Amino acid sequence: MFPKFDRDIAFPLIGSLILFGLLAGAGVLYQALFTGGAAERLITVMLIDAIIVLGIQVYVGNTGVLSFGHIGFGAIAGYTFAVLAISPEEKAKRIPDAPFGLADVDMSSTVAIIVAVMVACAAAVILGIGLARSGAQSGAVSATVITLALLFVTHEVSRNWPELTGGERVGLFFPIGGALDTRAPIYLALLGSLIVARLYAQSRSGRLAVAAREDNLAARAMGVNPLVQQMIALVISVAIVAVGASLSVYEDGSLLPENFFFNFTLLTLVMLIVGGRNSVTGAVLGVAVMTAGRELARRLGQDGFEIFGIGLDGKPLDWIFRENLQTVFLGLSMLGFMIWRPKGLLDDWELDEWLRARIRRNQPEPKPEPLLEVVADTASVLHAENIEVAFGGFKALSDAGLHANGGEVVGIIGPNGAGKTTLVNVITGLVQPSAGSFSIDGEDVTNAQTHELARRGIVRTFQNLRLFSALTVRENVEVSSLIAHSHRTGRTIPDTDALIGEAGLWAHRDRRASELDYGNSRRLELARAAALAPSFLLLDEPTSGMSDNESLEMIEQVRHMAATVGAGVIVIDHDLGFITGISDRIYAFDQGTVIATGTPDEVQANARVQAAYLGSAADA
Amino acid sequence: MIELLQNLIDGLGRGSIYALLALGVAVIFGVMHLLNFAHGELITVSGYAAYAASNQGWSWYLITPLIIICAIGASLLIERIAFSRVRGASDFTLLLTSFGVHFVVSAIFLLYVSASVKTFSRPGWVTDTFSVGSLNIEVFDTIVIIVTVITLLATTWLLQRTMFGLALRAAAADFDTARLMGVKSDSVIRGAFALSGLLAGIAGVFWLMRSGSTTPSAGIDPMLSGVLAALIGGLGSLRGAVLGGFVLGLAEVLLRSRLPDGIAPLTDGVVFVLIALLFIFRPQGLITVAHAERV
Repeated sequence: MFPKFDRDIAFPLIGSLILFGLLAGAGVLYQALFTGGAAERLITVMLIDAIIVLGIQVYVGNTGVLSFGHIGFGAIAGYTFAVLAISPEEKAKRIPDAPFGLADVDMSSTVAIIVAVMVACAAAVILGIGLARSGAQSGAVSATVITLALLFVTHEVSRNWPELTGGERVGLFFPIGGALDTRAPIYLALLGSLIVARLYAQSRSGRLAVAAREDNLAARAMGVNPLVQQMIALVISVAIVAVGASLSVYEDGSLLPENFFFNFTLLTLVMLIVGGRNSVTGAVLGVAVMTAGRELARRLGQDGFEIFGIGLDGKPLDWIFRENLQTVFLGLSMLGFMIWRPKGLLDDWELDEWLRARIRRNQPEPKPEPLLEVVADTASVLHAENIEVAFGGFKALSDAGLHANGGEVVGIIGPNGAGKTTLVNVITGLVQPSAGSFSIDGEDVTNAQTHELARRGIVRTFQNLRLFSALTVRENVEVSSLIAHSHRTGRTIPDTDALIGEAGLWAHRDRRASELDYGNSRRLELARAAALAPSFLLLDEPTSGMSDNESLEMIEQVRHMAATVGAGVIVIDHDLGFITGISDRIYAFDQGTVIATGTPDEVQANARVQAAYLGSAADA
Repeated sequence: MIELLQNLIDGLGRGSIYALLALGVAVIFGVMHLLNFAHGELITVSGYAAYAASNQGWSWYLITPLIIICAIGASLLIERIAFSRVRGASDFTLLLTSFGVHFVVSAIFLLYVSASVKTFSRPGWVTDTFSVGSLNIEVFDTIVIIVTVITLLATTWLLQRTMFGLALRAAAADFDTARLMGVKSDSVIRGAFALSGLLAGIAGVFWLMRSGSTTPSAGIDPMLSGVLAALIGGLGSLRGAVLGGFVLGLAEVLLRSRLPDGIAPLTDGVVFVLIALLFIFRPQGLITVAHAERV
């Protein structure tokens, strides 16, 4: 079912072409208006900046990890390119003692770019492993600092290794005439970057990375391994940056350590966030807007301001319009957007998605057929025993156990603090038990990670709702579906659209999850979990915050969803009516241990349950 | 042995300044969850103040309080203008806001002063040394270490024994709960910025005494040292920040004197690589602060 050609490939391709046309066209138009070398160079630089910013967008936009290091990768690529592409005669003048025999290397620029990309990508893999080990996730501070360290390391090395880089003052130069004499490679690279960036965002990896960006924990609980997707995003992103950086060095005709350092980092990040970091269209818009703004600031700083009689002769406003105004402009843009519009001008609006929506507006999508129920996988067994979990000195669980067969509904009940959620956290790999073991189908999975357990068919919902809030209803369900198609192949995988219909969300399919009301959010969470074709659905207080009527509806909904995908259900609640209404068997918990188990009638009749639970039912 | 002892003393002197900077970073992180990339700008601002005062013929007895007042003032002003508007925003927004502040401040000096280095006279005793046995000890390092110890003791007293300290620690542990318990968020955050400015001011006095110069981008180095030291120690932990400062100072001095000649110019690069490795194997830093996420 993935990728869908019309949605995932055709429109992004058309969109990339249009964006390319708009940016390149704006450049050509500008050059026609302001002829001359300066205008030509401004546009060339803009096009190269666009390539680099698109590269950064692939990583920062899709993973939500702020990287200061991409310009460091640019430095790695830039120096690799320069050292390889500059002719041996020129190198003899500047870096005659280049190590590893590099002084004698004579490579064509094309081959040099390819090698530069490969070297930068190798560095990206190393850094990516580090980022993964540091537990990188959206907004992670330590990940950002690791990328910052890379920027400083490349800068320090390029300053202090003159044998290779020509050092801080001399740098590397291309002989005059060696600089880029046609813009064709830049156009080609720009178009390629646009297409790669858009296609990546639509790809399986891109979608999973975005899910993890929106909610890392929920993504892992749906079987996504964010670290793998972040690595893929990083390598693609660095490859694009490396191409851009090589072209930039080629075009500049020279390379100094300062070229790929703080100021360039600021410039590219401002371009990215002004347009909207979560969107390729936004990245392109940001490049155009900031290039124009910076050029204006530069000219105003140089010539003063002489229009409408204000600032005549540049004197009254002289205190603003002076040299270096453009640096202030960049810093203020960054600050202003962070304060008033942190998601940029476009947020995650994409030109091609808008086009597709407009073209499709008049073609109603038929409501999908109801799904046929799948025969439950009664052979699957989830078994946990002697589980013990301690938080500091407090034992949240001691000698707790649970046994569930495929296709049955097992209820877990107990007052607040009884250890119900902790048990679910153990079974979904979020909490490591200090003792005990649990297994799926007889295989021990006590130490398995959350996403591995999800892929084995244990899928949960969360007490406090964890949806991918910026994604639409459909995209939320599709995340699980993508995982199901690669990891739940033995099972009947439900069609996403049909599942959305079953959950009663068809009318809302293109709305963002954040726009849904509470009941629909709960239904979406259930549908998203069901889309994984799980063996067991773990529901953590699915009725919390619901009225009695809604709870009754929820019972029906849970039963129906479970039957539709053939999953067993383990449901936690402290609402006795809800649990007895839904469960085949019940475990009653109190103070971290099982106090009773049996059919709903047996458990309700149990004296300890009555004492522990009904006696203190005030919180139910 | 003697060389190691010598390194240790040099490292403590250097580490003291880092510890003060890192503590300022950690205090802000505690109340706002903001990793302040603009922390070094407090030293840029006070550096230009010192330059102006020095040109007027002020002595260091007057320049010292001026630097501290400027740092506190700049810290409060930056909070008022920029950070107060992004309270509670996502980490991504907070990081880039402080990055933006860093650039705006340095660009202002670029615009209104100049890109070139501005120098001012340093107190004569900065380069003096005295000998203990075969050890060569800088007067400067001795004073730095003494002042830092006093400052740290005073800060500990402030945090442990005063209502403000209690409110600040409560806010650092759990900001929302602290607010519900009646801690005034405005005054705690402003107090934290004032404290952070004070610590940066003291560190700034030493930093500027030693460098005797300032440039628009002079804030990068102190910022980096402070931020990295705070991260080494474990973000959110005040004790960790101080520890991180000393660790960073010692690591720099030891590496500089022990690395083979060929790599010695790359000491800073090696330090960054080591720090990156530390984050890779201990992303939470040396001292772990529990951040449980409820599910």
